[in-house]
Amino acid sequence: MKMGSATATSHNSAVKGGAAFDRRAWARHSLLQQLAALRWGIAALIIVGWFVYYPIIDNFFVSTTNQDIFTGEVNAVGLDNYRRLLDDQVVWLALRNNGLYAVFSVIFQVFAAFVLAAIIEGLRNRTWRNFWRAVYFIPSAISTTVTGLLFYFIYQPDIGLLDAFLHLVGLQNLSYTWLGDERTAIYAIIAMSQWQGFGYSTLLFTIAIQKIPRELYDAATIDGAGAIRQLFSITFPLTREMTGMMIIVTIAGAFQVFNEVMVMTGGGPNNSSQVLGTWLYEQGFNQNDMGYAAAIGVVIFVATLITGLLQLWYTKRRRVEV
Amino acid sequence: MQRSIHTSAAMIAAASVIGISWGISSTPAFAAGDAPAADPGAKVDYSGKLSILTKFGLQQLSPYFVTIAKAYEAQHPGVKIELIQENDDSIKGKTKTLVASNSLPDIYFSWTGTWGENFIRGNRAVDLSKVIGPDTEWGKTLSPAAVKAFAYNGKYFGVPLYLDAKFMGYNKKMFADLGLDVPKDFDALLKACDALKGSGVIPIAIGNKESWPLVHYLGQMLVYNVPVETLERDFDPKTAKFDDPGYVAALDQYRALQDRCAGGAQVNGLSYQTAMQSLSDKKAAMYYQEIIEFDQSATKETMLKPEEFGFFKLPAPKDAKGSVTALEGAPEGYMVNAKSKNIPLAVDFLKFLTSQENGKALSTPPYGQPSAVIGGADKTKINPNVADGMDEIARATYLMPWLDTVNHPRVAAAWLSGLQAFAGGSMSAEDLVASVRKAATAAAK
Repeated sequence: MKMGSATATSHNSAVKGGAAFDRRAWARHSLLQQLAALRWGIAALIIVGWFVYYPIIDNFFVSTTNQDIFTGEVNAVGLDNYRRLLDDQVVWLALRNNGLYAVFSVIFQVFAAFVLAAIIEGLRNRTWRNFWRAVYFIPSAISTTVTGLLFYFIYQPDIGLLDAFLHLVGLQNLSYTWLGDERTAIYAIIAMSQWQGFGYSTLLFTIAIQKIPRELYDAATIDGAGAIRQLFSITFPLTREMTGMMIIVTIAGAFQVFNEVMVMTGGGPNNSSQVLGTWLYEQGFNQNDMGYAAAIGVVIFVATLITGLLQLWYTKRRRVEV
Repeated sequence: MQRSIHTSAAMIAAASVIGISWGISSTPAFAAGDAPAADPGAKVDYSGKLSILTKFGLQQLSPYFVTIAKAYEAQHPGVKIELIQENDDSIKGKTKTLVASNSLPDIYFSWTGTWGENFIRGNRAVDLSKVIGPDTEWGKTLSPAAVKAFAYNGKYFGVPLYLDAKFMGYNKKMFADLGLDVPKDFDALLKACDALKGSGVIPIAIGNKESWPLVHYLGQMLVYNVPVETLERDFDPKTAKFDDPGYVAALDQYRALQDRCAGGAQVNGLSYQTAMQSLSDKKAAMYYQEIIEFDQSATKETMLKPEEFGFFKLPAPKDAKGSVTALEGAPEGYMVNAKSKNIPLAVDFLKFLTSQENGKALSTPPYGQPSAVIGGADKTKINPNVADGMDEIARATYLMPWLDTVNHPRVAAAWLSGLQAFAGGSMSAEDLVASVRKAATAAAK
């Protein structure tokens, strides 16, 4: 009602006062309208601020303190926790392990998954296509914790399925304490992760490939292009957006790894399989050092923020229209 | 215009976030509990809810607290008991999460040593001296050594529930088949391992995936090789030196035991439960275990039957420089949250929990936890091994606390990860002791 009378008043003023006055009135009216709309967004802004941005900012403040969770004592230490990060060999080891995770995940969950998706989508029989999609996707439907436990038993020395298989095929000399050796523990965990994540990426790529018009392949076939040439000249360029997204998402995921490491090795032996997430947990909950744990949290945040910004940049710049 | 609206929206969000952040950051993130608000000996109001964090989350143990809670609720219909049951591995993380969020239940599990001291430093435990001190009616019903283990600065803060200690469980039939006697010293144990290995079984199953099982081996070996007063000096980072040659000697003994009795560096790849299963499945001849596990490693359902199970104290080396009559172990018990709304009710429940009847139930299979209640074990009903183990505990001249709960967390972490490296062969005994010394120096600051 008020809005209606305001509009009528401004219209009359416009007739009497000229075009310049009319624009100002219209701008004021528009601002009022948008502010009215904004109030509906304020609740959402407060919720997002409280649950997303406040913890991030507060975590930074916590990282500049030493806190004792039992006494509640909080002492400001400035950037000491960050200086300590630089001298902490386990932090560098954890960063390396997260990096390894990212490299292997990009190789298997992006490039190998892409090739597999292309092979599956190349199958003529629809039933087989559906069958293989399901076969590769099933591991992704299992929780990471359960998969971690499953692989913990598979890797068990002597009684595990892997070593039993090696014995069965006469390769007992290859049997090994995969999770118990500092040199192999992280690779054993990464292998499990690839097994689990591979099918999910494959499914996403199959969806991307399905969007490519069949005519392009038909034309290429008429022109004499073989399957591999079609893969590199049609499938790969036209799924480049998905590939870029998958690389970024996979790298970001590699810096958030936690469950599988916790379940399979707890970061051991001798911290050799620590990743940033598990080292944060160890410092905060086992060593009662919440300030330092928060500093590790900031490192994880920065790593994932960079990949997140890359993701935003990529989706704006690299869009390929079919 | 649209741009300015977006800018103002972002500013509102940022201002609210920063405002909230500053407002809250000015108060401590984790406010410690205040002094106890109620007298533990006051008249009990039998109404309301009582929450309890237990360490009986294992399938075999969890019915104990459920049964006790039901019996207490039946006696006092106005009381509702809420149980949070965790196991050995999960209870540390759970407890710290509850502490950090000021959500400790009314009654919570605690080890002795530094772990328990943390709650007292933070005013999170009720001083129970008035009701459980050695001269009190309740205190006299419990093992004096166990009650004393929860004393800090002359005040009593914990209620011991059971006594725990570490012993070598073994398959008596396997030993008999090879004509082996219970080893009297460390060399005899190594020789027994050689004989057992020759017969095709694993002499000792060791699983160190969780990293604390080796700490238990080392605890007993340290008390054999390092004088008790030196160990106690080194438990405190401010006085710790870790310069006694017994530390390296104990580690060398462990190395010999791992190489001759277990699967070498494989130990880090096995969990302690898998190792215990190896004894139960008769794949291994020995497994170093807590007395509270006796009724789990040999049962009517396992391949190793209770009558085939025996135990002995880990044998000491002949030239031991420490205490050969010491035993690694400690009572475990419960504390009352200083912020509990019904402290007298919590104390009353703990009295009920440590009654003679409930103590006997705890010591009897399937639980087999040696009760801290005097007379809380009917020797005709409990596992004879548990009864003999309780006698061994009573004979011990010193109870060596667990290294991972008696030490400062940073020192404990150095022991835990260092021992994994030592077992895996990537760290020498000298380097391990040096890393522990370094951690103690850092912790003392």
